[in-house]
Amino acid sequence: MIVAGCDVGSLTAKAVILNEGKMLSYAIIRSTARPEESAHSVMEKALEEACLSFDDIRYTVATGYGRDNIPFINDAVSEISCHGRGALWLMPGVQMIIDIGGQDCKAIKLDKDGRVVKFTTNDKCAAGTGRFLEVMAKLLGLSLEELGTLSAQARNPMDLAAACTVWAQTEVIHHLNNGTSIEDITAAINQAMAKRVAMIANSLGVERNACITGGVAKNVGVVNYLEKLLGVKLKKPPRVDPQVIGALGAAVLAYERLERNKEC
Amino acid sequence: MRKEYREYHFDRMVQSIIHFASLAYDGTPKEAFGMFRYAPRFREAIETILKTGEPGVLLLKMIDKYLIEVLTAHERGKKIALCTFNFSPGVLKPLDVVPICLEPVTTLGVMMWLRGLGEYLNYCCEIGFTETSCSAQRGALGAYLAGLGVKPDFVLCNSIGVCDTNATAFNFAAEYLDLPFYQLNAPPLLTDERSQKYHRQDFRGLISFAEEQTGKKLDVDLLREVIIETDKQDMIMCEIEDLMRLVPSPVPGIFNVFMYSAKYIYGGSKEATDVMASMLEVAKRNASEGRAGTTSGKEDARAFAVYVDHYSAQLRPWSWLDSKNISHLGCMMNGFWPVHAPYAEENLKEGTYIMDSTNEDTMIDSLADQMSRMPMVKQIRGPYDDPHQWLSDTMASIRTYKPDFCMYTGTIGCRNTWGAIKILARDTEKMGIPTLIIFGDAFDHRITSWESMRDKIDEFLTVRGILK
Repeated sequence: MIVAGCDVGSLTAKAVILNEGKMLSYAIIRSTARPEESAHSVMEKALEEACLSFDDIRYTVATGYGRDNIPFINDAVSEISCHGRGALWLMPGVQMIIDIGGQDCKAIKLDKDGRVVKFTTNDKCAAGTGRFLEVMAKLLGLSLEELGTLSAQARNPMDLAAACTVWAQTEVIHHLNNGTSIEDITAAINQAMAKRVAMIANSLGVERNACITGGVAKNVGVVNYLEKLLGVKLKKPPRVDPQVIGALGAAVLAYERLERNKEC
Repeated sequence: MRKEYREYHFDRMVQSIIHFASLAYDGTPKEAFGMFRYAPRFREAIETILKTGEPGVLLLKMIDKYLIEVLTAHERGKKIALCTFNFSPGVLKPLDVVPICLEPVTTLGVMMWLRGLGEYLNYCCEIGFTETSCSAQRGALGAYLAGLGVKPDFVLCNSIGVCDTNATAFNFAAEYLDLPFYQLNAPPLLTDERSQKYHRQDFRGLISFAEEQTGKKLDVDLLREVIIETDKQDMIMCEIEDLMRLVPSPVPGIFNVFMYSAKYIYGGSKEATDVMASMLEVAKRNASEGRAGTTSGKEDARAFAVYVDHYSAQLRPWSWLDSKNISHLGCMMNGFWPVHAPYAEENLKEGTYIMDSTNEDTMIDSLADQMSRMPMVKQIRGPYDDPHQWLSDTMASIRTYKPDFCMYTGTIGCRNTWGAIKILARDTEKMGIPTLIIFGDAFDHRITSWESMRDKIDEFLTVRGILK
């Protein structure tokens, strides 16, 4: 029984294919201007990986900003619900999910039965989202991975005062011109990001059993600072890219819905 | 401000739209909806209003009449006062003064115009406002400060101590346009003897100020008419609000905004009474048929807004809630607190007012009491959890209407509520009412688009299991 989950986000589109509740494949691509196009391309990629075609899929659940515009799906489910379901499937017992995507940041609280009971998202601006890190990496001429790892080598980590992405750039340029080391600057960037996210997570009340998902979970610098600020060790999704948790949750929901339909 | 915006008067443009929309139903429904094809920019908002039938038509005719009164006031030898929304306009009629109710006029613009009032909002910033100044004023005020509307003769403000960004906007306007200025003050308490005495004296000061500006005395016979009409309106409003307690609520969600618009723009006039009476008829009919006030006649959830509604985006928030079969049970703007209000429980009666037409003094005292209890003036004058303030009023509304969830929309510009919303939401959650906080500007869709807000509400309704 093959099912799929498709998450069309603002910056990337993700797809996950499951067979009898086991993951067969997943794919991540850059989103295009048309959600239906992004969804089709990412699904094709994931299906190719699993040597399958669209006809093999029995049920598809979509999530993300573009979810309502995808023609081939059976159902659309909100992002919060999918992230919650995906994280719980991979990490049973998890009670809090911090998801940092390309253009948003969410904190989700689950009850002991895994139901979403509370959530909050960033508002006002893009500080505290993946976009902030992308802009900074580009400015420093680094890859996103390097932005994460280099901060561990910082000797005099400094502080970025500006919360605004654009003004933070000005501040970084100023530090570059003053000869501050790249390592110290990357530490400041990751720390600034972690501070914004910590504020969002703290507003819900941090649980001991918390995990981090989304593309920014791959940035070790941000994760380390965040753990320090929150005072908890954050679980990372095992065996899977942390960016696909929403799509995975959608696929799990597809599987569960198909099972339920069978029983009916 | 862009050059083309300076070509037309804002208030005249708003009046034209409302005028022609109010005539739409004078023909057949087919003609009306045929006409909407030619008004793509205003269609959504007007259709949403006119879909309600007679109440919508009467509301538009009432607003049209009000705007014509503003536009022709000087020709008719009347003075114009620039007023806050939370100002009972009834008192101005016996003083022969026509009010520009600033926020309601901003609301009309943002509701009707597809692109909102960004140019006027920006204009205020160009001449000295901050971007976090209250957008409810900046919209229409931008036009008046740019000379794109009638020129007011003086300014009356009823928000000092209630909302600093609101009050300073009126202060700014008075300075900028070089106009006489009177502001009513709101002490932090409401029901103690000292505060009541202060309010009544302060209100008499306002009357003397207006008499000085017009050179005319308060007309006591007209004042009596206003008091009697206000009393009628309050009774109708209370009856409608009482019907909202039913499950399903037979009151269409948009009637709440009709109700407070009528009160703010034309409180104490026969036109406002007619609008309310027509709404009551519709609500009673729905109730007798056991129908909800939604278009489908079904109710899947009940919503209450703990602060203001969201006015930008052509009334889409109301259409969207309606499409989801959600009964909108009003917001803080509906909390006028007349003595018969269903939410005025026994222990809260002290916070209510009555209309007493016995003599001039009792009538002035009645209006002073009403003014000191206007929405926002009553609820956010002091600490959020003081007696008769935001928390107590919200709890009373929750107990009365039994909503399934509460919503808050606001920004940093709504300082008095933005600063306390998280603790208020904590308290409503403790009462078992899921509460959603959205960062959004009711008058400026550039802050957060309606689409983005809608997604958030949708997500919240799903996650909290409110809509299955």
